[in-house]
Amino acid sequence: MKIKTELIKFDQGLDLECGERLDTFDLMVETYGQLNDDKDNGILICHAFSGNHHAAGKAAYDGMRGWWDEIIGSRKAIDTDKFFVVCSNNLGGCSGSSGPLSINPKTGESYGKDFPSVSVTDWVNSQKLLTDRLGISKWYMVVGGSLGGMQALQWSISYPNKLKKAGIFAAATKSSTQNIAMNEVGREAIRKDINFMDGDYLRHKVKPKNGLKAARMLGHITYSSEEIMDQKFGRKFQDIKSKIEGTVDYEVENYLQYKGEKFSDTFDANSYILMTKAMDSYDTSYSTNGNLEDAMKKIQAKLLIVGFDSDWLYPPKRSKEIQLAAMKVDIDCSCVILKGDQGHDSFLFASERFVNIIKGFLNSK
Amino acid sequence: MNTPLTHIIKAWVPEKSKVIDFGCGDGSLLKDLIDQKNIRGYGVEIDHSKIQECIDKGISVVEKDIDEGIQDFETCNFDVAIMASSIQCLKEPHLALRKMLKLSKQCIVTLPNLGFWKCRLDLVRGKMPVTPNLPSSWYETKNLHLCTIKDFETLCVEEGFVINERFFLNDKGVKSIAASILPNTFASEGVYLLAKK
Repeated sequence: MKIKTELIKFDQGLDLECGERLDTFDLMVETYGQLNDDKDNGILICHAFSGNHHAAGKAAYDGMRGWWDEIIGSRKAIDTDKFFVVCSNNLGGCSGSSGPLSINPKTGESYGKDFPSVSVTDWVNSQKLLTDRLGISKWYMVVGGSLGGMQALQWSISYPNKLKKAGIFAAATKSSTQNIAMNEVGREAIRKDINFMDGDYLRHKVKPKNGLKAARMLGHITYSSEEIMDQKFGRKFQDIKSKIEGTVDYEVENYLQYKGEKFSDTFDANSYILMTKAMDSYDTSYSTNGNLEDAMKKIQAKLLIVGFDSDWLYPPKRSKEIQLAAMKVDIDCSCVILKGDQGHDSFLFASERFVNIIKGFLNSK
Repeated sequence: MNTPLTHIIKAWVPEKSKVIDFGCGDGSLLKDLIDQKNIRGYGVEIDHSKIQECIDKGISVVEKDIDEGIQDFETCNFDVAIMASSIQCLKEPHLALRKMLKLSKQCIVTLPNLGFWKCRLDLVRGKMPVTPNLPSSWYETKNLHLCTIKDFETLCVEEGFVINERFFLNDKGVKSIAASILPNTFASEGVYLLAKK
């Protein structure tokens, strides 16, 4: 599989939904496979909240597998022998695209907390500029899970004739009250970290690691399910030698400590806040006064909605809402609810039925 | 797919109409209707392998148990709702029919006739009927509410469903004179186009 990672600069700037403007911006982009001569085999992958452009294969710098490596690759569900697959780090992220860690050209310093609020629609608009840059006039499919699924849905609304199909997995048309509540707990943990410095931690050369870690630990619980936690850890005690923290008793605690620690080393706190705010504020029907059908009636793409029965963050009923709205306004749309115990994270794994459904949808007319 | 049954169904579905097929199976009927009558079609199915076949064919399909979900589509404004050979498998067929006529202007229902003479003969012999359209043994069948043509039409009167059209097929799946004269005895299958009063 041919992997290419590239920072692409956009000098034309971007007007954001919040009213601010980025005069220039960068997108960190990774591509897999080859764009064909007709340029009609492109698939755009939209990542979830903490994902990035590295969706598949081994990263050149650390050998890490991409977040959707189970799904994307040679002969996999999204086959890179056939398709030209593109994934970009969302604006406001911290993996190379313009975000709080980037230099603000107006001040010569990092944006930090001053990076403007970004939204799902802004991401879609920035990806549209990327689409033009790649010379692709129509994506074969735009697809993503979770927040990435929201992007795929918004793509089909914002640029109806620029994609043939959309895959919307473990997603929703808007965050629920409970989703917002969870995110706020995460943000509060970050804000109350003594090193957060009101978001100005970069200038003080510190990092609100503890807050980020706590936020991520909570996040992990919401991405998981009761069943998988029982299966993986049960009530097993952590053996003393491999305890990350002295306070740890159970394996599950150690796991969360480990995941939180790892995440807080690499993720940026301001990005965390920006990304979760974008997730909270997204509402497909915002511009149509809450009328989802009105928002969706422009869609021309064929939709595939997949929900997972153990997902309690964006549970199956949220998938069914999208399906029903699509059906009301005569849009081609399939909806399946898959079994599995991985919770919200189920979309990351190549379970047999999920793979077959993606393949069937991709290969059908 | 070109049997007399599908021929009848296709003839009843108007060009460019919006159709929902409950228990759509592998999506063949919808595919034909899309290709031949330019309809906008949606299938509802619970069987995983059949759902996969629909997706492979590019047919819009929703994974759902018909027993639980018909009313979900109430606001979708269908022109035709199809329920082919499934009504007798539902927990409450009469309520299902009511719900179908709520979400669609017309409704195509096909059902096996337990009054068919071969079924009667099996019963006289002291055995549960097994015929081409009631193929399963008593312990394997998904049929919960088998009825005769007479039973079904009585229900239509009681519920106030209007029978706009009907056809009767023999056990070879074709129209026959006997089946049309004495359907309750000689029809193996009834095909109905229903509407609300």
